[in-house]
Amino acid sequence: MNMQQAIKMTAAETALVDAYTAQIGDLPGDGSVLSVRDTLVHELRTAGLPTRRVESWHYTDLRTLLRAVPAADPTAFADRVDALVPGSTVLSIRNGQADLKGNPPQGVTVRSYVDSLLDGSAAAGLAVLGFDDAIGRINGGLVRGGLEIAVAAETTLEDPLEIQLVQSLGQAHTRFPVTFGANAKATVIERHLSTKDGESFVSSVSDVTLDEGADVVWIILQQQGAADTHLGQIRFDLGKNAKLHLFVINAGGKLVRQEIHGKTSGEGADFKLRGINLLGGETHTDVTFTLGHNVPHTTSTEIIRNVVFDRAKGVFQGKILVAKDAQKTDAKMACNTLLLSDDADLSAKPELEIFADDVQCGHGATVADIDHTQLFYLMARGVPENKARAMLVNAFVAEIVEELEDHEALVESLEEVISTWLDKHA
Amino acid sequence: MPAVQETIDQVRQIDVDQYKYGFETTIEVEKAPKGLSEDIIRFISEKKNEPEWMLEWRLEAYRRWLTLEEPTWARVSYPKIDFNEIYYYAAPKGVTGPKSLDEVDPEILKVYEKLGIPLKEQEILAGVQKSKIAVDAVFDSVSVVTTFKEELKKAGVIFMSISEAIREHPDLVKKYLGSVVPTTDNYYATLNSAVFTDGSFVFVPKGVRCPMELSTYFRINEKNTGQFERTLIIAEDGAYVSYLEGCTAPQRDENQLHAAVVELVALDDAEIKYSTVQNWYPGDKEGKGGIYNFVTKRGDCRGKNSKISWTQVETGSAITWKYPSCILRGDGSRGEFYSIAVSNGHQQIDSGTKMIHLGKNTSSRIVSKGIAAGVSENTYRGQVSAHRKAENARNFTQCDSLLIGDKCGAHTVPYIEAKNSTAQFEHEATTSKISEDQLFYCLQRGIPTEAAIALIVNGFVKEVIQELPMEFAVEAQKLIGISLEGSVG
Repeated sequence: MNMQQAIKMTAAETALVDAYTAQIGDLPGDGSVLSVRDTLVHELRTAGLPTRRVESWHYTDLRTLLRAVPAADPTAFADRVDALVPGSTVLSIRNGQADLKGNPPQGVTVRSYVDSLLDGSAAAGLAVLGFDDAIGRINGGLVRGGLEIAVAAETTLEDPLEIQLVQSLGQAHTRFPVTFGANAKATVIERHLSTKDGESFVSSVSDVTLDEGADVVWIILQQQGAADTHLGQIRFDLGKNAKLHLFVINAGGKLVRQEIHGKTSGEGADFKLRGINLLGGETHTDVTFTLGHNVPHTTSTEIIRNVVFDRAKGVFQGKILVAKDAQKTDAKMACNTLLLSDDADLSAKPELEIFADDVQCGHGATVADIDHTQLFYLMARGVPENKARAMLVNAFVAEIVEELEDHEALVESLEEVISTWLDKHA
Repeated sequence: MPAVQETIDQVRQIDVDQYKYGFETTIEVEKAPKGLSEDIIRFISEKKNEPEWMLEWRLEAYRRWLTLEEPTWARVSYPKIDFNEIYYYAAPKGVTGPKSLDEVDPEILKVYEKLGIPLKEQEILAGVQKSKIAVDAVFDSVSVVTTFKEELKKAGVIFMSISEAIREHPDLVKKYLGSVVPTTDNYYATLNSAVFTDGSFVFVPKGVRCPMELSTYFRINEKNTGQFERTLIIAEDGAYVSYLEGCTAPQRDENQLHAAVVELVALDDAEIKYSTVQNWYPGDKEGKGGIYNFVTKRGDCRGKNSKISWTQVETGSAITWKYPSCILRGDGSRGEFYSIAVSNGHQQIDSGTKMIHLGKNTSSRIVSKGIAAGVSENTYRGQVSAHRKAENARNFTQCDSLLIGDKCGAHTVPYIEAKNSTAQFEHEATTSKISEDQLFYCLQRGIPTEAAIALIVNGFVKEVIQELPMEFAVEAQKLIGISLEGSVG
């Protein structure tokens, strides 16, 4: 079968390719950047968006689910919002364009990603991760904003750095190459919001590198509108003894795919993923995770908690790969779901792919309703049923947030996000 | 801690060359011409004196098969199979169907004797401790003998080769054949529907508890032949049957294809227990030769409170592609899957199960134990799904992998899909080498390392071995011993 054979393009595919054609000459970057963009868009045109036949998109048939892509709306205006945690340094991106006002904290350099596109240094990073990297392809073809952030070695940031992406209708494609020097210590909040009820289409790729001994907490808080499409991706590479603690919270959007692709490149690296998916309404939210334990003596733990209401569909795919020589790997993954409606559904695919023998790897997955004994316990003490349910759902996800105990203000803000969402949906 | 050096050495030594059923028997055979075409299908159908409807059924499947593409999603790799280089029918000369034992070629009887399969009824009866097992022996493309038929008949149980059943009980076959695995199901099942040559047919009528274990023994003997067997087991309301299946093949340099289809139907309150000890020739230590075992097995819990239980011990085959599944259609039905998959040498296993919960209050349990050694690849692939209406569906899955050596791979790919809020699914998987704690505990009590490892491996698979019928448990334990345990004990 000839894969190059032209497919009949869907409305969304046509819209994406047209968006590229319409902006050609206007998108930042030429030479090598332009040639990568051309290739990516050509691939999109010939292969189309992935269907469920592509294993990594098994539960999210993007070709069918993505019905239309809203055109860019030059008149739409997005406002800044207050920082999630008071005192944070806010790096504001509005409708995909970075606003470089204000000075970054000591030890941090920030430059517009547009500059990297213009001087060609962004070209190498635009390559896709594989044939199934549809997000990398769409984003690489259409990216026209973002930030390049470098946290210098030995820098400790006291206050969080908030990358605030506010979207109002239309499309935005942003990218964030972020490097943390040796022993740098920081908390980054990547926050996606919409300010209008209309439909928007956002793709965002963060490319994070941690040098030896760096210690980073990275929060992705996605709270887009109920009609929005959000295609997010974070790539990371951990150096020797580097520590990355990644939190992903989805509490919005109609069609959401958050990909997390990382690898450990230095011994002693430690990765933690904590995910909370609050799914209600008609959302289809997919969190897809792959982690390559490529060198010996690295550890990871992943805990994903899903709460699924209404007609929502939740997907979690997690794959841990242990390379041939990565002895002494310790990797544990858990995906727990509270399925709270008969119209909702949840699919999970926790995979292990192991080529080293001296390892400890495991995964667990559960799907259940609220535990009736717990419910009974609370009700026996006079708590009304709906309140008891709310408490239990809240506790199910909030305990994940509590792991951030060193960041009290952050924990409070995230708990607030969770309880506001639950009050609205439960 | 990696497996101790002696273990690795011994695993390497033992490898797959220890295959003891690799002998070949020279028997005059009658073959269909090589290759696959409508004419070959007509030839097979004619050889078996099949009614017209059966031929049509086969031809329809064949036409469908021509439009299908070979699946590539499994984690196995092998050179492309040339389906026209295979003989689709090979029968010992003069044998068109099972006959009385006296008429069977003594050479064939010798084969089964060598394999340790009891075919003579008296012999079995003479053995005081042995319990009775009725055997259907399938040699290449035909069933050569079925034992204890008369005694089973008295109980109302029909146990015969499927070719005979097509002739003698066409209504039953017509009603159930293809009702669990339709001819359109998948590439290999469709191929099987077109060219299947023999297999077993079991019908246990209402309320009957089958008085003995039923068993089929598959043997591929002839060169370049594919074996395409079809098994159909029906348990009517309240019936019970336990069925065992064993397989071996001679040692050869070429790969041979075995694409079977097994269909189980359990009606109200019925129970079917299906056990397999799969020991096809796995290829030599360079990975040359061996059987490609591409099998579709599915059970349909059609009735209320019915139960289907699959137990498999997979030690043979160069490549295994096999997912014995349960469709839990009847309210209160239950599916079970117990598996030990041992891969060594260059073997590749991609096996697991599907539990499809459709009815209310259905439950399922999956226990899968994979042991990978040598340069083998061992994958568990499973699906558990609860349909919208599957209230109170319950599943527990446990898949553990044990790695011996650093050149093999163990993979786990479960698909968990819940569409009902009352469904309760639990899945856990682990991959590790032999636990240092356990080993230390044994050593500390004076058990030598090798014996301790043997003990632990044994314990690792015990849960599954226990599910096998007694007669098979012994064989299975021996087999694992040959494949691995001997290497460590």
